[in-house]
Amino acid sequence: MTQSLRRSSLLLVLALSSLTLTAQQPSASKESDFLSRIRRLTVEGRRAGEGYWGPDGQRLVFQSEREPGNPFYQIYLMDMASGDVSRVSPGMGKTTCSFINPQTGDVLFASTHHDPRSKQLQDEELKFRASGQERRYSWDYDPEMELYVRSAKTGTLRRLTNMRGYDAEASYSPDGQWIAFSSTRSGYEGQLSAAQQKQLDTDPSYFGEIYIMRADADGSGVRRLTNVPGYDGGPFFSPDGKRIIWRRFDESGVIANVWTMNLDGTDQRQITDFGSMSWAPYIHPSGRYILFSSNKLGFENFEVFLVDIDGTREPIRVTYSDGFDGLPVPSPEGTRLAWTSSRGGGREGQIYLAQWNHQHALDALAAAPPKQKPTRGSGQ
Amino acid sequence: MKKAPIFVLLALSVAALSAQAPATATGTRSYVETLASEKFAGREAGSAGEQQAGEYIAAQLARIGARPLPGRQDVFMAFDFTAGSRDGGSQLSTGSQRFSAPADVVALSFSDDATVSAPAVFAGYGIVVPEAQNFGYDSYATLDVKDKAVVVLRYFPEDADKETKSILARYSDLRYKALAARQRGAKALLVVTGPRSPNAGQTVPIAFDTALAGSGIPAASISGKAAAALFGSRSLEAVQKELDSGNPHAAGFALEGVSVELFTKLVREKRTARNVVAYLPATSPVTGVEKPWILIGAHYDHLGLGRNGNSLASAADAGKPHVGADDNASGSAAVLAVAEAFARRPVRKRNLVVALWSAEEIGLIGSNAFVNTPPMPLNQVAAYFNFDMVGRMQDNKLAVQATGSSQTWPSLIERANVAAGFNLNLQPDPYQPTDVATFNQASVPSLNFTTGAHLDYHKPSDTADKINYEDLDRIAAFATTIAARLMESDQAPQFVKVEQSSQTVNRTGVRVFTGTVPDYAADAKGLLLGGVIGGGPAEQAGLQKGDVIVEIAGQTIANIYDYTYALELLKIGEPVKVVYMRGSDRRETTLTPSARK
Repeated sequence: MTQSLRRSSLLLVLALSSLTLTAQQPSASKESDFLSRIRRLTVEGRRAGEGYWGPDGQRLVFQSEREPGNPFYQIYLMDMASGDVSRVSPGMGKTTCSFINPQTGDVLFASTHHDPRSKQLQDEELKFRASGQERRYSWDYDPEMELYVRSAKTGTLRRLTNMRGYDAEASYSPDGQWIAFSSTRSGYEGQLSAAQQKQLDTDPSYFGEIYIMRADADGSGVRRLTNVPGYDGGPFFSPDGKRIIWRRFDESGVIANVWTMNLDGTDQRQITDFGSMSWAPYIHPSGRYILFSSNKLGFENFEVFLVDIDGTREPIRVTYSDGFDGLPVPSPEGTRLAWTSSRGGGREGQIYLAQWNHQHALDALAAAPPKQKPTRGSGQ
Repeated sequence: MKKAPIFVLLALSVAALSAQAPATATGTRSYVETLASEKFAGREAGSAGEQQAGEYIAAQLARIGARPLPGRQDVFMAFDFTAGSRDGGSQLSTGSQRFSAPADVVALSFSDDATVSAPAVFAGYGIVVPEAQNFGYDSYATLDVKDKAVVVLRYFPEDADKETKSILARYSDLRYKALAARQRGAKALLVVTGPRSPNAGQTVPIAFDTALAGSGIPAASISGKAAAALFGSRSLEAVQKELDSGNPHAAGFALEGVSVELFTKLVREKRTARNVVAYLPATSPVTGVEKPWILIGAHYDHLGLGRNGNSLASAADAGKPHVGADDNASGSAAVLAVAEAFARRPVRKRNLVVALWSAEEIGLIGSNAFVNTPPMPLNQVAAYFNFDMVGRMQDNKLAVQATGSSQTWPSLIERANVAAGFNLNLQPDPYQPTDVATFNQASVPSLNFTTGAHLDYHKPSDTADKINYEDLDRIAAFATTIAARLMESDQAPQFVKVEQSSQTVNRTGVRVFTGTVPDYAADAKGLLLGGVIGGGPAEQAGLQKGDVIVEIAGQTIANIYDYTYALELLKIGEPVKVVYMRGSDRRETTLTPSARK
């Protein structure tokens, strides 16, 4: 889930296109305190990202552009023992944001393959690329995006949502009973004011809000949890299943912060306060701390940070590498970290994997100074 | 069928699981320690040490169970090569003056042996930039040199702006100048090092050149004294100064009334070296298997006592055995380890050729000899895996090169590395300075594995105790897994020709010495230093291993290619600003290049 290369997509491309030789070269000493045996996990294809672990840590589901003839992401499942990789999504259209059901192994993702224009859109994008032009690529919040689940048992694909608007960035609760997701459907229902319509035309993500629904649902019984102007997205459940963590953009769409709330949307708490784009949060399975990424150190330079679960102390920097490091996802046993990085060169990200030093994280948190100005707001 | 690799892999997944048994039984240590022992004296191609190392490898291959190739009695494949050249008494006369070797005239290493008489004509720097470059520099534009002896300056215009230099430098190699003269009908080429250039007035030492024959034209360098005889009352310095602006319209001229008689003779020392090649036959008939051969290889030769010009030994270590533990006892050991792993496998759908090349260090000669007279049709070879310097892994980093030679490679590498766990640096470029280039040239999908250069590169200190054996074993196991996936498939990878990038490193014209040791395996944005040469300009500038050069002389450095080109623009003795990263600190220093010897 998470917004991945969407809201920030434009910035990312900017960040990765220039050969920025400024600021941080990898500082092995600091990064290696947290991460060891760093390695590039995905190799095939132009780009890959958003790797999420299966419950036993033996599988990783991710999105990658590697399907011949399709310049958009498709969803793939990697077997961490054999290395075999299989495609989960239909292969047609755009997909994003996959997640494995911790109980059933079903794979949840968002897809537009039902859109009859899919092939045409693929061909247009390929043609555009072949022309050698540079697209100021930005995630389009395609309102055709709907949630699907691929059954681990039967292999069948089931559609979960059927609403005009971008339904994506979905994840399961630990018991597999609930799905949290982000949707822009509020921008497509009812009458919009002129100002709202203009907003929808220029930046549909403004209407992104967090929703929750039963995992066995067919799109009914959906409940909206957020109601604040600006893009709310990338929700994940806490390891105990009691709270949801997500990132909230301000109305300008430039500043984002990590927030947590109860499953009914109450007790919304702001965790980060960098005044930059802090997003893609994920809670470590210990429940003790949150990993997220932020461009605090430079508009073009995203790094992974660590912060205690309540955000009472100053966040701690984890990665030290030019370009993009983000979408950190710890493995279920908490000893490995998968994240998306451009450190391999080029402008596109790939998934990296490292051993995660949990004890060092705890020590660093204990040593971190209190946050200077605790900002704990209540959203509603 | 582009999708083939994935289908193949899915079909293979059961077989593949069994492919993940540990790859090495004995490990690589004993191979490296033996090959890098002083008894083989650095394994110089054609030497007794190389011969004995070959015998050792043959014995290991026999122990593993590999056999001579079909129709051959043994595993040795001998080939002849030129081990070195010296001038055989070249002479130049003009009017009443006579000049002789080695003081005033020395044949160039690619010269034909000949005696010619011809009027002399001066052609400036003798540089012709191909029209395709759209640059417009042709030293011969207004000259008729047919049946003349062409006199040219060495190097390229000294005072040209950086951009001009960077272009001219590429066409200033003496071989290229000789070609340009020959193509215009010249009878001979004489090269003089101009008064305004480094090494002014000196003849060109005979470069190490492995060609078995000349390049079709007698060519020699002459001293400043001999040049003065040709130029008569004209000042060569003034002539050069006019050319040094890089102005292409500064024309050459006939040396009126001057004729030369040139006698060139090169004595080429021919030697014989041996590739050691064996194979493990397929375990079942190969009918129905596309391209039934897979090759694995590494060069086992090294620099001997370091006397042929490739050595980077310090003065104190000069002449000692260059035992080459990493370069390339490590790669040889990896090949033997992979062979051993395959020997133990019950099923091999293809024949596995195990090749240890000689004479790699002097120009990929062994692998080229193999490819030029291949014992099996090369279009029947599914893939070639090369190992060159795989014993110095640091921080889990492994470079895999030539990945652009087949679309199959990325998916195979990704799958194999999930378990192997290397921090891979993938380099699509197959034009690498190792035997992988030979097979890419022959349209065989290829991969090269390397852990990169280091401070002991091409020095006697590249010893077996510095090898990281645990990771060397991991690399062999990783390659085995990749090769096994191919071995078990009926289909072969499709070859993709990678266009040679215009940025490919071309050492032509680089004559400055900075004393940097690039880390070729690094993926840093900039030039990561694997080390600096003791006492060299880089060390004097305060640079050290681990620094990343991001700018030199105003040129932004993003990679090794940028760096190499930037080097072409430097002037010997002229200090330049170097910007580099040390950790996250951005620093500046001043480096003064010296002359490359």
